[in-house]
Amino acid sequence: MIKKIFAFLLLIALAGVFLVVLQNYETPEELNLTAAYYAEHGAEEVGAANLVSAIVVTYRGLDTLGEVTILFLTASILSFFLKQREERGKRSVRASSELLRTASAVLVPFIFLLGAYVFINGHLSPGGGFQGGAIIASGLVLLLLTDPLRKVSSRLLARVESASGFIYVGLGIAGIFLAGGFLDSRVLPAGTFGTLLSAGLLPILYILIGLKVGTELSGLLTRFQEVQVPDGGDSPDLKKGENV
Amino acid sequence: MVDQLFFNPIYIIGIGLAAAFFLGFFHRGTLAPRIIMVAVTAAFTIISLAWMQAFLLQGQTAEHGQAAAQVFTAGFQPPFSINLRMGAEEAFLTLLINISGLLGGIYLLDTLKKMGSHAVSVFIILIMGMNGIIMTRDIFNLFVFMEIVSIAVAGLIVLQKETNSLAAGFKYMIAAGIISVFLLLGIILAYAVGGSLNIDFLTAADLPGAKAGMIALFFLVIALLLELKPFPANGWALDVYDAAPAGVSAILAAAGSAAAYYALVKILPLGSSSHYTLVAAAGAVTFLGSNLLGLKQHRGRRLLGYSSVGQVGLLLIILGFSEVLGAQRDYIAAGIILSHSLAKAILFWLAGMLKQDGLEAWAALRKKPILLILFGSAVFALVGFPPFPSFFAKWELILLLNGGRFYLWSAVILGASFLEAVYLFRWFGYALKMDNEKLAEPEAPLFRLLPPIVFGILLYGAGWYMGSILEGFANFSYIPLAFILFLALIDRLPAWIKNTVSIAGVTFYIIDLYPRLEGDLLRLIFAGIFLIGAVLTLLSGYYYKGRRAGFYPLALTMFAGLAVLIEAANLLEFFYGWELMTIGSYFLLIRGKKSMPHGYSYMLFSVGGSFAMLFGFSLAAAGAGSIAMSALTGVTVLPMLAYSLMLVGFLTKTASVGLHIWLPGAHGEAVADIHFMASAILLKAGVFGLITVLLGMGAEASYTGPILFVLGWIGALSALLGNISASFQESAKRLLAWSSIGQLGYIVFGLATMSHLGWLIAISYSVTHFLYKGILFLVIGGIALKLGTPYMYKMGGLIKRMPFSFLAVLIAIITLSGVPPLVGFAAKWITYNLIISEGIYYQGFIVLISGIVAFLYLFRMIYTMFLGQLKDNLRTVREINIWFLIPVYLLLAAIMVLSFFPNMLLRPVGEMLSGYFPDGAIAWTGTLGTTRLGYYDGGAIMYVIGGIFVAALLFFFSLRKRTQQVKQFNIFYSGEAPSRPELSHFSYNFFAHYQKAIGVLTLPLVTNFWNWLSGILHGTADFFRRIYTGNGQTYAYHLVLYIVVVFFLQRGGM
Amino acid sequence: MNFGSLALGLGFLLILIGFWGLLTQKNLIKIVIGFSVVDTGVHIIMVGIGYLQGRTAPILDAALMQRTAAAGNQAGASADVGSLIVDPVPQALVLTAIVIGLGITALLLAYVVRLHEQRQSLDISSYEDLKW
Repeated sequence: MIKKIFAFLLLIALAGVFLVVLQNYETPEELNLTAAYYAEHGAEEVGAANLVSAIVVTYRGLDTLGEVTILFLTASILSFFLKQREERGKRSVRASSELLRTASAVLVPFIFLLGAYVFINGHLSPGGGFQGGAIIASGLVLLLLTDPLRKVSSRLLARVESASGFIYVGLGIAGIFLAGGFLDSRVLPAGTFGTLLSAGLLPILYILIGLKVGTELSGLLTRFQEVQVPDGGDSPDLKKGENV
Repeated sequence: MVDQLFFNPIYIIGIGLAAAFFLGFFHRGTLAPRIIMVAVTAAFTIISLAWMQAFLLQGQTAEHGQAAAQVFTAGFQPPFSINLRMGAEEAFLTLLINISGLLGGIYLLDTLKKMGSHAVSVFIILIMGMNGIIMTRDIFNLFVFMEIVSIAVAGLIVLQKETNSLAAGFKYMIAAGIISVFLLLGIILAYAVGGSLNIDFLTAADLPGAKAGMIALFFLVIALLLELKPFPANGWALDVYDAAPAGVSAILAAAGSAAAYYALVKILPLGSSSHYTLVAAAGAVTFLGSNLLGLKQHRGRRLLGYSSVGQVGLLLIILGFSEVLGAQRDYIAAGIILSHSLAKAILFWLAGMLKQDGLEAWAALRKKPILLILFGSAVFALVGFPPFPSFFAKWELILLLNGGRFYLWSAVILGASFLEAVYLFRWFGYALKMDNEKLAEPEAPLFRLLPPIVFGILLYGAGWYMGSILEGFANFSYIPLAFILFLALIDRLPAWIKNTVSIAGVTFYIIDLYPRLEGDLLRLIFAGIFLIGAVLTLLSGYYYKGRRAGFYPLALTMFAGLAVLIEAANLLEFFYGWELMTIGSYFLLIRGKKSMPHGYSYMLFSVGGSFAMLFGFSLAAAGAGSIAMSALTGVTVLPMLAYSLMLVGFLTKTASVGLHIWLPGAHGEAVADIHFMASAILLKAGVFGLITVLLGMGAEASYTGPILFVLGWIGALSALLGNISASFQESAKRLLAWSSIGQLGYIVFGLATMSHLGWLIAISYSVTHFLYKGILFLVIGGIALKLGTPYMYKMGGLIKRMPFSFLAVLIAIITLSGVPPLVGFAAKWITYNLIISEGIYYQGFIVLISGIVAFLYLFRMIYTMFLGQLKDNLRTVREINIWFLIPVYLLLAAIMVLSFFPNMLLRPVGEMLSGYFPDGAIAWTGTLGTTRLGYYDGGAIMYVIGGIFVAALLFFFSLRKRTQQVKQFNIFYSGEAPSRPELSHFSYNFFAHYQKAIGVLTLPLVTNFWNWLSGILHGTADFFRRIYTGNGQTYAYHLVLYIVVVFFLQRGGM
Repeated sequence: MNFGSLALGLGFLLILIGFWGLLTQKNLIKIVIGFSVVDTGVHIIMVGIGYLQGRTAPILDAALMQRTAAAGNQAGASADVGSLIVDPVPQALVLTAIVIGLGITALLLAYVVRLHEQRQSLDISSYEDLKW
């Protein structure tokens, strides 16, 4: 109880801090220097209709590479962190309902298709590699919900993930030699503004990102799926520090 | 110029990520991933090295010469795209990080093998991310790299899957998450106000000009500050250091702290001076708090955590004082970072080799001496001893802070450093002396041994480099140190070879030095004491059969330090020599069997003393505007404090009352020749320092009165206390140790009078004390070595077995007790003159009393050891080692010469002193000296006393027929039943009757005082460390509370 | 009412709620949820800061071109795209921030799984062995 009171008092004080922020924050009327530059030159320099995509993949490409790296890191860590030593017997799982099974059979291909569409068109319309990848992973969630014991080939996932990441970095380095710098998308010609094959390397990079994010998120999910929680919260058969 | 095609800094990111992604193709068990890791980190290192070398070659012109390289990404100019920078600072820090990565990776090879290729990717990405933090110029990109690093760290913590590691990792993730929330808030607000994410453009945007900008800055600064683990919101960080695999903790401490530090360095220029103040204050609280709490810590890894956090606090102080430190800030910070990173990595790596984590268990390091050497190097580097980089950094820091009148800050820095020294040296003492028989040998295969060894070499190299680029130290001669290194390298050879080499080296040095000192008698005298003393002690070293591992480099380190004191061209060199001497003497003193606590207290008093000295020197330099030795003359900035601190610093080495408690134990446990070095020679370094300071201070200014008054009393009381305590000792060696305190008391007393005669006494005592104490230590030490005990009641009648020793001791004692005819009497005679002519009767009375006491215990010593009955078990004992007797008789010859011709010493010294104290000089005609009060003729007295002695001898010889031989066991106990064997010996508790009367004077009041102080510190530490409850939620609470409190404090100050 | 400020207020409220969970709940999973809520609050604030009243998404598609033309007609000249769209930068940033948050959450949950395996307890106070 004391703890809660202290927490409450602290949060009151924190709220005070936030109030000070709100009081002093002035909502802008115009785009600032940076944003105005993107609005004005983004289309011609990068050739992407979706300015957010232009920023994400090109102007701030290093950030994006960083966030892909973070997903990769998480997936890698989980792969040795959550790895089971041996199959510890079969899990008994209640069979999923007819409804779920049918729905997933129908929907999953379309979900995957939508995901691919979203990342392929990332430079033109709302969405992009991350969004598309997340959609693909959500399809996998549905599959796993339907059949929790389904074997997902983590090796295949890892291969696709590594290959797309490796190519992504490789294309980025190519930018140093063929264009203006690391991750410059102007390695390829800009093409016609607003069409699928435009914005230089951007769509290709976004596809790679999409593949990578999709496989990484799927990888994360399968790692958690593989975790076997012993039946009954406090079964004594697990000794401390026994795992891996 | 660096070739951008090959050494483009962006390759660090490109190659790192490509390699990490590529490793996804591999599966566990293969060697390839680890080869790739080593290759990639080596490539990182080479890139940094190429840049570092380019910046170094351009030398000091980096600011106005070659600008830092900018790397643009995406082919657009900042602020519209992210850019990286590679300047001198970046090159230095990335080099540090990449070397740590390379070696740290090698250290982790087998752990990573077990965990497979994914763990290798994580490791590569960690190092890449740290490089990114250093190089990026974009605040959001900075955030991304910081998240990469913290996630990678969270992943590597669990390479060791124990509950504690898991819990630590969870706490770490929660803390990192909270910090990142506030960092993001700061970034987005800064963007809203400044319209850019680029650091250079935000600097131009004047964020502090707008209120919202100030808030943005607050969030940015506080988040980056929290990354640096400020006390007390740092419980999570301690857990990580504690529970992560040692190899990972090493990288965190070495590279992680440097990266986080530089993130704050980049952001702070956006803010105003109030942010710098905040950082400095947070740093001071951290440095002090974390080192205080470290006192109670008894596990190695966690203690390293406390120390790491503390060192980062020191960095924060430096950063906060950027404006004051100016161009030297980066020099100072680099010194601290180098020492801290290299030393901490070494220590964590060592921790990883040990099976147990208690501080006592580190004694296992002794089973592999190279590990012990590394441990010692790291400890001394952390405390700031030469020759390590932190020594120079600390010197510059304190000098500049005090130059800017920030006295309190420098006091806090030194105080906290002292606390750090307290626990580090306790720990090191354990490693040196604790029983290690039951401990497992450290596991040190080559791949684990290599990283700390390389870092150890770098630590020394960096120290050399930092010194060479510092004005005021550039001309320092490293030849003696190179000689010591040579001795260390030939340490495997037998002792007699090393002994010969050492003697040759010192002799050569003396020949080389002499012309430089001609005409400067004061230095010549002390150079004589230090270096001729060195030759004599080394001469006695031939007694040792075997290797005597480690003895020679350390003994020579001490003598090199003493030589530097003599030759010092400025305060910095002087201080360097002082610290060098301290290191050497510490290791010599702690060699004794039971010397752990004594060596420890010696070190603490030394460190405390040298910090006081440093503070005093910096005040002197602040007033004079230079660090030349002349700065000690007429100090203008806080002169009373400055002089007092310097004097206190030197009094720790003369073991004057109040600061003496280390001496009896440390000297009493030392081996014979070391005892000689420590007492007859080493203590004189303190005297030399006192003389140097007092000459600068003079006696004219008003503040000198109280200082000299106190100093005089300290001297007199030391004389009394030392001599009385000596009387009650049972161990001959302890007796001599206490006696040294008393003798040094005379010297201090003489100096404090600031008069011609007083100084004459001090200097002549310095010489004669060196002579007769040298004799006593060597003989008594030799006897103790021979008999295996220093206790006098176990001896007796040794005159028959050791006549040469007896004669030497007899003469030394006559000299010491100051009775005619030997040179000791000359000193006494001048003392009487002094007391009467200066009218200092109270102190004078005490000094005279102590002279009488000295006679008592000396009489007892020679009587119980050499006279009386020879004990049964000693009937076959033989004369002490010839190698002890040779130097003894050389010293004896010197005494005899000086006794016949005291004018040989006193006259030139008097003439020299007349330059400083013209009044009251002694007039000399031949061997006849005259003062206002009378005259003294050493030669004549010798003849008279000699005549009387011969007459008495003849008289007793004529009575010899009437002597009655007493049988050995013809003893009566007079009704007292001896309950313990030693009670049956008449010399046990010889002065019991005096002890009943005046024993109250020797109650260990001073010891009790220091124990009480230490108890209070430890109690405080124990109380406050309970804030680290171990609960992750509490730590989260601390973090948010820290933010809120600082926010309202800052706004209150705005 | 400015939606930007509203988003800011909402975001701060979410942060506070999240912190309440983070600081008071004993259950590890609930603590992670608290963290996620805080993170979401920050994301909303980021988007809110990029928002400009009455403007549209920063995608230069046909619809935006029409609006440009229309605005141009009203003003008598061709209007600048920059006066019609919201700030695209925070949107790009928030994308990154979301992904990072996701990574952290995944890792935290993995920790919870492993911690639970050690002691069969989800109570944070069961893991206080390291202290002082």
